[in-house]
Amino acid sequence: MKQISNDADFKQSLQSLSYDQQRIVATQFVEHVLALCTDDRLKRVVDTGLNEKATQDDLSNALKSAKSITFDCHTRCGAEGNWSEQAGYFVARAAIAALTPEPQSKSGGPAWQAAMSSRMAQTSVQIDSDSSDLTDNKWQYKILSDFLNS
Amino acid sequence: MSASLEKGINALKKEVDSTVGAFFSSCVNCGMCADACLFYTESPSPSRTPINKTEPLRRIWNQEYTLTGRIGKMLGLAKPVDHEFLEKWETLVYDSCSLCGRCSMVCPVGIDIALMIRKTREGMAAAGHAPEGLIGAVTRSVTIGSPMGVKLPALMAQISHVEKDTGLKIPMDKEGAEYMLLLSSMEIMNFPEFIEAIAKIFDKVGVSWTISSEAYEATNSGIQIGVADIAAELVQRIVDAAEKLKVKTVISPECGHAYMAIRWDGPNLVGKAFSFEVKHILEILDEFRKDGRLKISGKETQKLTYHDPCQISRRGGVIDQPRNLINLFTENFVEMPEAGKMNWCCGAGGGVSSNERADELRLKVFQRKKDQLDEIHPDGIISACSNCRIHLEDGLEEYNMDIPLLSLTETLAEHLED
Repeated sequence: MKQISNDADFKQSLQSLSYDQQRIVATQFVEHVLALCTDDRLKRVVDTGLNEKATQDDLSNALKSAKSITFDCHTRCGAEGNWSEQAGYFVARAAIAALTPEPQSKSGGPAWQAAMSSRMAQTSVQIDSDSSDLTDNKWQYKILSDFLNS
Repeated sequence: MSASLEKGINALKKEVDSTVGAFFSSCVNCGMCADACLFYTESPSPSRTPINKTEPLRRIWNQEYTLTGRIGKMLGLAKPVDHEFLEKWETLVYDSCSLCGRCSMVCPVGIDIALMIRKTREGMAAAGHAPEGLIGAVTRSVTIGSPMGVKLPALMAQISHVEKDTGLKIPMDKEGAEYMLLLSSMEIMNFPEFIEAIAKIFDKVGVSWTISSEAYEATNSGIQIGVADIAAELVQRIVDAAEKLKVKTVISPECGHAYMAIRWDGPNLVGKAFSFEVKHILEILDEFRKDGRLKISGKETQKLTYHDPCQISRRGGVIDQPRNLINLFTENFVEMPEAGKMNWCCGAGGGVSSNERADELRLKVFQRKKDQLDEIHPDGIISACSNCRIHLEDGLEEYNMDIPLLSLTETLAEHLED
């Protein structure tokens, strides 16, 4: 039984996964914070990302949909920021990270990038609520530990 | 005459100086500026000819400061400068101009038309004829310190997040640091990974840097709306913070107009030379490259291009530096037609992006950028302005073009040698 308890192990374990496995775990991160995004399309994106049998076309369409959601959710330059709404933008960005094809993926890989954006989504909500208690990452460690032990 | 109209006319009068007089006297009405403006070429209408957008200022100059104009005014022949006229011009001055300055580049008699439009905005804003979105941004800049209302606790939360992710300390209010980094609210809200990229690069290079808790905002909506007093106040906040922390250089981030505001307009706005240098982040990174301090590994094999942000390249002169940096990590770089100082604007600068009323036109004129991209079919677009970046993404989505957008600084950080 492998238990993840810190970010160093978390990142290393994520990067040891295959690209498809990273997509599944990354999408699970997105699923955990899905409620922070009010755009209904994202649920379908998550369903596709979690589907082990999803085709390249399915994934490509889901990625396109996630990108479209970020354009609708981002705070426009000069507009008054609403951090709760901004959380939805970061959830959508986590979905983009999860579904981005390997050649275009940023450093750290899709799962790490999705984990970071998911955390940012939670941070956004907490900024709005003036909470000083910033995100704890244990839920991400648990998702990965469960995946590794399944 | 209403008080607001009087204020507007007085503001326009205040803008008339020898430069304005010389420019208006020199205009030969050739119309060359029209073909240089994407708002004209993509949505042709004679009213969108750049020099025509300065008509409120021209009327005041003509009626108040020229002999023929004054005689015409006495005889009741002058065209009016009233609310109805200014209201009609509001969309031309704010919605149909990104202050990109391309018109100024082609004027055969050397009129800086973009500067004249900015001066015209001074009168428009004073008379109450400015877009709601920009008014809101200015109000938040003055009262909160950020056009998007980003308060210090929000910045600190983002910084805390970056510190946790990278294990690097982001130095706040460090007196005597070499560099003081400014950020745009866009970066804090939409692209916090820019902060992460800076932290990684500066850590590798080993420089002393800081962010001021008293003046972290780089943008200047006072310039965009055309209220010089507010623009000066926003610049002064940065000057005060830089002097308090005794930094040598203030860094303008990946934001076009912020660079123009603090680097080129700043000293004139506050009426004195700065005691520190101001550089764009790309200038700093290119200095690291020249000194051999920037160690990069790996090359991008995709076909990448660079979108020159108007205020950084055309108006700011930072053209070679981004290309030097891009060459470090690409092996298939391709220039857009008319790249560099004559690049076409994304269409969202100069406050257009803050102005929801302008959305339809903004996306329509994106056709010009689409045409540029259609000639080279890149796999990715690199830029160095958060506003360009988000608007390019928006435009690409609108025109069904699937091309990823990359920040130059962030991509460079991805390629840092371990």
